[in-house]
Amino acid sequence: MNLNNLTHEESNILELLKTVMDPEVAVNVVDLGLIYEVHHNPDSKNIHVLSTLSTRGCPLGDTIMENIRVVIANKYPEYNVDVELTWEPEWNPDMITREGRIAID
Amino acid sequence: MEAGLSTKNAPSPSIVLPHYIFGAISFLIATVLLLISSSGDFTHYMSPKLLSITHIMVLGWITMIIMGALYQLVPVVMEVRLHSEKIALITFIVFGLGVTFMSIAFWSFTFSRSILLEIGGVLVLIAMILFAFNILKSALKTQRKDIENTFVITSVFWLLITVIAGIIITFNFAFNFIHESHIQLLKMHAHIGVVGWFLLLVIGVASKLMPMFLIVHKLPRTLLIYSFIFTNIGLIMLTTGYYYINHQWFLILSSGLIILGIFFFLRFNLIAFRKRIRKNLDTGMKLSAAAFMMLGISVLFGLFSVITPDLFTDIQNRIDITYGFLILFGFLTSLVLGQTYKTLPFIIWLHRYKSLVGKFKVPLPVELYSDRMANIHYYTYLVGMLFMIIGILSNNVLALKAGASCLLITAILYNYNVFKIIFHKTQNNESK
Repeated sequence: MNLNNLTHEESNILELLKTVMDPEVAVNVVDLGLIYEVHHNPDSKNIHVLSTLSTRGCPLGDTIMENIRVVIANKYPEYNVDVELTWEPEWNPDMITREGRIAID
Repeated sequence: MEAGLSTKNAPSPSIVLPHYIFGAISFLIATVLLLISSSGDFTHYMSPKLLSITHIMVLGWITMIIMGALYQLVPVVMEVRLHSEKIALITFIVFGLGVTFMSIAFWSFTFSRSILLEIGGVLVLIAMILFAFNILKSALKTQRKDIENTFVITSVFWLLITVIAGIIITFNFAFNFIHESHIQLLKMHAHIGVVGWFLLLVIGVASKLMPMFLIVHKLPRTLLIYSFIFTNIGLIMLTTGYYYINHQWFLILSSGLIILGIFFFLRFNLIAFRKRIRKNLDTGMKLSAAAFMMLGISVLFGLFSVITPDLFTDIQNRIDITYGFLILFGFLTSLVLGQTYKTLPFIIWLHRYKSLVGKFKVPLPVELYSDRMANIHYYTYLVGMLFMIIGILSNNVLALKAGASCLLITAILYNYNVFKIIFHKTQNNESK
């Protein structure tokens, strides 16, 4: 996971992704720890998000992925938005942020 | 499509939803009939009214909803598309007709004078063969060869054996070509159905879904392998034991192995429950937790039923009926009630809002039904079960009527929520 050295714009995108909820647990994808990387490239007009899901075969999986893509595309209409799904590393509950745990409880 | 995503594999709601509608109405009818019969039809499980209620519950309510849910869950558990939606639709129609014919034949006690029961039984058999074919063809495509899939596939084989055994019993009523006691054949039929079909399927699906709902990882899956081995060996022994051996010690030994299998599954669930991140349980999960508790209690009554058939002769029938009641109206009904709230709102939500997420503010799946109603029927259900068990064991008509009334209220409120979810209108006016 590489969310430590984000640029200002990448931090904005991460904040934006806090509006994308996992419909089952009603917690946003950032606090659930589903977002691994965010890359914003103003030169190539490309935004790349590397994300995972809490479980393989998640019934809401591609809806969540599409939701991530749409909220970014709405905010950055001139950019190409690429949301990539990865299973490495495998998601585990330790990736949930403190805010996420509070929201789940 | 990316591996591991199942939404695109989901079948059309027009295939899945009729199962939920038929199932919910069947549950309502069964509780009405239960109230009508509650003044004294609980003395023997071979009474026509009890047989009718049992088949409405087993086939019309539990199996119907499980079939619909399984069409939706195959993509989740196996990560493949359902083999054929057309076959699924034909299966639903044939099965629905079969269940209706059988229930009418049992209720009107015409199975010795007409062939309505036989026609119904054959339709159910055809439907089950189509269902098994559809699921097994889907399973052949899966890349995931895990224990959960093995449970689901094995349960479908046991389902076929259950229905074939049921058909043999049905025709034996008319032609009497097997000279074994009907009671022994019925016990064999019931146990293959409950343990082989329902329990194995529940273990397979629940061990996949429960960790997902509770948010818990790294569970001891070896327990599931032990559960699979012991349950299946016990069931094979029990099935052959009823027919060929029928010695008390053999039945106790085979029941013991099944109970050991159930113990490993319950242990798996308990560990998941303790390690869960999601501490607050919603109504769907509370009903599911109640289901597993009732599974434990029904095992105790099952033990009584097997170990002490002569010790409590006077109340043996009542213990047997309580055991069956706890499995059907208890374990399986509670699980179906609970899991409806964990599946149906998501099916409708995906259908209505999949293309709108991110573009508009959309409600959450949990907002598609009244959680207040669900919470009320959680309590009416538990109170109803308590009264019914007291009523059956003590042969108290007042307790039976009170219990049946509470279960009827449960069914009415449940139906209200099911139809509220199904007829939910898309809300997309509020822009983000």
